[in-house]
Amino acid sequence: MLTRNHVRYKIFTNKVSGICIQRMDHQIDNPKLAFAYLRPACVLLTHEPTVGNVETLSTQLRHVNDGTLQQLQDYVLFPLRFILKIPGPKRDGLIQAVAEAIGYVLENTCVQSWETLRDLLSELCLCLCSPMDPGKPAPASEELRAAVLRCLDALLHAAYGDVVFKLFEPIMLPGLGAAISLLLALGEQEKSRTVQAAALKCLQALTLQCDCSLDHVSVGQEERRMLGSTMASFLPGITITVSRVITGDMRHGHAVTVRAIKVWFKTVGLVMADDQLQHTGTGERQPWELGRVWELVVQRTQDWVRNTSGRLALLLKKIISCTSAHQHWRVRLEMVNLSDHLLANCNSSLGECVGPLLEALVGAVNDEEPTVRERCEAALREVAERSQSSDSNNQAFTDVLSENLHSLATSLPRLMRTSDDQHKVFVLNVFLGYLKILGPKLIVVLNSAAHLQRVSKALMQVLELDVMDVRIVEERSSAVTVETGPGLHRAYAQRKHFLYFTDKIIFSLLKEICRVLGYYGNVYLLVDHFMDLYKESSVYRKQAAMVLNEVIKGAAGIGVAGGTERQEVPSQEDLKAVVESIIEEYTGLSHWHLSTLIAEESDRGEHKQQTQFSLLSISNGVEGKGNPLQLVQAVHKSSTIHELNSNIWQICIQLEGIGCFAQALGMDFRLILMTSLYPVLEKAGDETLLISQAALDAMWDISQACGYASLKELINENSDYLLNDVSLNLQRLGIHPHAPRVLTVMFSHSDPSLLPLVGDIVQDVLLALDLSYDETSPLFCTVLHSLMKALARWFPSSVAGTSDALGTKKVWREQDQLNVRQFLLDYNKQKELAVGIGAEEEGTEHPELPPSMDCEEDTDGPDVDCEEDTDGPDVDCEEDTDGPDVKVELPAHITIAKDVMERCIHLLSDPSLRLRLKVLDVLEQCVCVLSEKENELLPMAHRCWPALLLRLTTDDPLAVLRAFRVLCTLGETCRDFLRKRVSKEVVPKLTAWLSKQAPVSARAGPVYSHTLAYKLQLAVLQGLGALCCRLDLGDSDLDAVTEACLPYLSCRQPPKLQEACLSVFRHLIELDPDAFWLTLNELYCPCSYTPPHPDLQPVELSGMGLQRNEYTDNVLKLLEDFGLPEDTQPAGIQIQ
Amino acid sequence: MARPAPAPLYTLRGAGSPLNALHFSCCEGDPPLLFSGSGQGSVHVWNLTTRRAERVLEGHSGASVIWLNTLHSKDTLISQGRDMRVCLWDLAEGRSDVTDTLWTGSVGFCRCSLLETGPGRWLLAHPGEAMEEVKIIDLPSKSPVCSLIPQAKLGMVMCIKLWQPDSSPGPLLLAGYEDGSLVLWDVSQRSVLSSAAAHPEPVMCLDFDPARQRGISGSSEKSLASWMLDGQHRLQLQQPVALVNPGISQLCIRGDRKIVASAGWDHRVRVFGWKKLRSLAVLQHHTDMVISLAFSDQQDPRNRLLAAGSKDQRISLWSIYNQGSDSDTGFSLRHAHSPLKHERADSRRAAQVRDYWPHIKAKHCKDKHSWVDLTEESST
Repeated sequence: MLTRNHVRYKIFTNKVSGICIQRMDHQIDNPKLAFAYLRPACVLLTHEPTVGNVETLSTQLRHVNDGTLQQLQDYVLFPLRFILKIPGPKRDGLIQAVAEAIGYVLENTCVQSWETLRDLLSELCLCLCSPMDPGKPAPASEELRAAVLRCLDALLHAAYGDVVFKLFEPIMLPGLGAAISLLLALGEQEKSRTVQAAALKCLQALTLQCDCSLDHVSVGQEERRMLGSTMASFLPGITITVSRVITGDMRHGHAVTVRAIKVWFKTVGLVMADDQLQHTGTGERQPWELGRVWELVVQRTQDWVRNTSGRLALLLKKIISCTSAHQHWRVRLEMVNLSDHLLANCNSSLGECVGPLLEALVGAVNDEEPTVRERCEAALREVAERSQSSDSNNQAFTDVLSENLHSLATSLPRLMRTSDDQHKVFVLNVFLGYLKILGPKLIVVLNSAAHLQRVSKALMQVLELDVMDVRIVEERSSAVTVETGPGLHRAYAQRKHFLYFTDKIIFSLLKEICRVLGYYGNVYLLVDHFMDLYKESSVYRKQAAMVLNEVIKGAAGIGVAGGTERQEVPSQEDLKAVVESIIEEYTGLSHWHLSTLIAEESDRGEHKQQTQFSLLSISNGVEGKGNPLQLVQAVHKSSTIHELNSNIWQICIQLEGIGCFAQALGMDFRLILMTSLYPVLEKAGDETLLISQAALDAMWDISQACGYASLKELINENSDYLLNDVSLNLQRLGIHPHAPRVLTVMFSHSDPSLLPLVGDIVQDVLLALDLSYDETSPLFCTVLHSLMKALARWFPSSVAGTSDALGTKKVWREQDQLNVRQFLLDYNKQKELAVGIGAEEEGTEHPELPPSMDCEEDTDGPDVDCEEDTDGPDVDCEEDTDGPDVKVELPAHITIAKDVMERCIHLLSDPSLRLRLKVLDVLEQCVCVLSEKENELLPMAHRCWPALLLRLTTDDPLAVLRAFRVLCTLGETCRDFLRKRVSKEVVPKLTAWLSKQAPVSARAGPVYSHTLAYKLQLAVLQGLGALCCRLDLGDSDLDAVTEACLPYLSCRQPPKLQEACLSVFRHLIELDPDAFWLTLNELYCPCSYTPPHPDLQPVELSGMGLQRNEYTDNVLKLLEDFGLPEDTQPAGIQIQ
Repeated sequence: MARPAPAPLYTLRGAGSPLNALHFSCCEGDPPLLFSGSGQGSVHVWNLTTRRAERVLEGHSGASVIWLNTLHSKDTLISQGRDMRVCLWDLAEGRSDVTDTLWTGSVGFCRCSLLETGPGRWLLAHPGEAMEEVKIIDLPSKSPVCSLIPQAKLGMVMCIKLWQPDSSPGPLLLAGYEDGSLVLWDVSQRSVLSSAAAHPEPVMCLDFDPARQRGISGSSEKSLASWMLDGQHRLQLQQPVALVNPGISQLCIRGDRKIVASAGWDHRVRVFGWKKLRSLAVLQHHTDMVISLAFSDQQDPRNRLLAAGSKDQRISLWSIYNQGSDSDTGFSLRHAHSPLKHERADSRRAAQVRDYWPHIKAKHCKDKHSWVDLTEESST
């Protein structure tokens, strides 16, 4: 009552109306005063039942305090009830006003007499129902209904405890039934949501199950029994109708649905409560006392319970299917409450419902709304505790769970095929929930072969991959992967495409399911089972591998959130043994070396095919990294893309698995590295992008698990394990052809610290190469190539080609600007020398210079010095730097490079073009490495020159191309050594060829750029300039080169050739600017040069005054480089 | 049916010089160890679980270590170097100290021989200062027991083997000499029991099986000599075993007396059945002559390994002929490719060694000979 007063006061203070009230600030608390105050209004109302009078009364009522009102309750209610009892049609407005007034009174007072309660109840119901049928609502306004319902609610709340239970005596059944039907009808059919909700709330209050914030009658054990047995009569009606409300219109807002769910489960929970049903048959009234009413009374016997629970189960399923995936979280929360309430109170009586209820509950475990999740987790915890604590129900409960699990597993594949993503998520959540609730009992459940079979088959079917994506086979990885951070790599990870779902969440749920299986299940059993599936058929292999990966992770406790404690944690030793056996299976020959490439290239391939292949590799800019390895084992039967994709995915999944296992074992995985690292590296060198990336990911996982900071560290620390396998397999290339690939990966990820151990292997490789020259040399060339590439990277040569060229270019420009005077001085000096003035008089020159020039001389000085420094032969610098650390014993990498180069010399003239190409690549790298030690390089270069020359001059264009590249590289170091040879043997041939080819390319169409000739032209032009510069070729050679290249300045040539040709000229200009200025100007001269003095001869260049022609653009470009603006005259001429 | 020759289980690299001596130490519970003595005087301690060198012991000042053994357990190592010293090492608890040294005065290649005579007591036979002398001392007291010098001019002592026969009270010693003769000494009597001219060349190595009273010795020639002791301790030569390539550095009979392995100068390790000295396998891996051999002594026969050390600075580990259970032949080899329907544990282990399995059955000699011969023919 306190609260009611409190509320009352609040209302009062808010709504002070000062009509004829003596004391404004508080209510009348004297009953006599109040009576006097209210009486006129009551009397008036009795005489004239109008809305106005009712409102007057209700206003006055608000001025009377609660206690006083209680005393005057009957008096005040009388005129109001009187109005309701007046026969004949009544106006809605009046009734509404009356209902509101009664409602006010009831809200603030208590109903102490049974009669008042009964009469008021029936009177109010009569206001709502149609005169014909007390169970059906009469047409009435929404406001009226709301008011009456509120009034009813107030009445039920106001009823005293000793009175209210009389309502539920059997004798009251007909009246109660009418009221309930009425409320149900309103709740179901009413259009207004407020009224619907109010009706349902009334219903809730009528069963004394209200959960609002007001005071309620406390219901004792005995009263509850009575309540339950009375409500049992109405249970079918209530449950059916309310479930219709719940499942009916999804649009009617969550408030109504929530309320309806509440009514449903409160009622069911009341009637079907376990504690009531356990002792039935005692204290029931005798039938003859009741007469016809007896027919309405329900005896809650065993049979009745069984029947009812069957019916309820049907309804419940309908409700669950409608609400479990409801959009509004409050509805889902209410469902959790429902499940929790019913599972807590009616566990045994609602036997058939336990399954669906649990399903609903576990389905909400992973709800997106945290409130629902928390509530659900709490509920599940209770369920689990109850199931574990009560021994009698324990087994039954587990049975229900495992039965549910079984049936869900059975229907899972179908559901995954047919339902939408949202529902799939729900279904999987349920699945996961079951596993979690079963928890430690999962071991027992999975021990049943039927269950394990079901679960595993379901997973196999659901996880089926879609392998139709063509890109997977197509994508190729580049030869050298630069080490990146783990994060960067993950970004590229290809998503798996599944046949039956697309949502990522579904996959992660499935993975979690597997992990939970591994967490609670018996690892040995699971691994054995899935391993059998893995071996059984290739159809299941990928899925089984996925499951195995996650099972192991789960067994190690990774990625299992919020699981209860396990009874027996598998020991690290067990886990290790299991992992070892799985890895062994994964990396077995038949599951690891699957064909992933379309066998387009055949080993004994005809020349044509090889050319094609090489062309391809050129166009892709990939180093000539053929794949004879693949060819050795290439399955010549045509395998469909489908199969190849499937193979690729299988390998990827297995690689992922190795990563997972590493995570699961942590540092203990280090010992397994002995057997597992090599296969992973084998795949890291795979040509299929997806596989190599998966392998790199696995390597990152491994390095993190084993405590290595980087891949480099991983490889360096374990290089002994790797090299052991490499060296073994190098001797058995027929069976294990991937050793070179592993070496390649090792080289590309490692650093020079690998060298001491590698030296050992290189000797193996070379020895094997020497022994078996024919069959295996392509393979070994691959190894040697990767080795030399790595060496070139680890020991970058101090002679850097391109940067050097840039440097000189810059200097040349400066020189050009500042050098005019110096040039004259030099010229003068030369002239004097020629005349006969001795060099010893050099010093005397300076006094002759004007003082102003002296200053300039100073500024010039450093420039000149600088120029000399940079222009000075690199060889000298090199010798200087090499000077201090000259050793008797050569560094290992030099020795290796020498050994390799030695082999190259022999292999250069191999009949197989492909091999020759490869050898040329290796040779190039050898030269790079050796360039550091000229003393070693020159003899080798000398020895390989004849063979190289043959490649350059008489071989296939492809070989010429590579050979030319080698020549350029060689040119960077061995200048003097090569000059004569090149000028005598190479330049004439190349220039002749270029000249011959120029008209062809000028005429050719766009297709020409795909031809070999074009590529060769391009390569030669690109390299020729630098080569000339490097070798410092003589004038006659330069002339030949110029002559050959000039046609390529034509704008009719393909643009790339023009550019390349420009580069040639730029290089040549560095060598002899004046000569080439002249040459260019003779081709086309943009400006005229007028001599400053008429005595001087006019400058006549053959290019002057020409019309714009095909060479104009490129010549202008080159002339721009001279930095001579068109309007200034060349300084030299001016001074002369 | 010829099968490819087996590959080693693992190759230990990084010793940096020829491997002259090998010794396994496999105690239950601890990771098995392999000691290797190198030509540069260092002793590597290899952990066979991680297959990496745990420690490197330097104690012979750069002179080649030619013999290794352990006393008690793996904690006390005894090593013989060509610096004319025998060192005792304390390796317990991570120590690596030389606790004692013994000056032998021998500059030859003859390896010592150790015999446990009682708990904590050993006899060590080592070559003496004089070329043909064998000295026997008591360990740990280091007190000399006797010195055995043959009357006849037999040349330098090349190899010795000391053992305690059941029949006689004192230990016996077999010694091979430079002139190719074998001499059987009675240590307690300090007398020659018998002698035989087993080889025309110096005896490079020998091993003896006290249970069968049989021995085998190798030399620089193309055959192995096998001989046995009769009841009167007389050496009786048996049919020699012909080899394809000459030169044997070491012979080793496995602890279970089923196979014997030879370290050949032809870079190969040959495996023979000990009973009939049938050639079983040729293990081809090394790129230089094989100098040392050792069989491991694990409790579980399936884990037993053969280690071969070579001049090419590598040690190869082989897991061979260790599947079989005893059967009537005494040397039955179960094929590792067991039926797929398997007992888990067994199949896992079997699978581990599958790749290294020589793929022959002793009973199917025809099969066996085909690939043995093939490999031998291909070698020059």
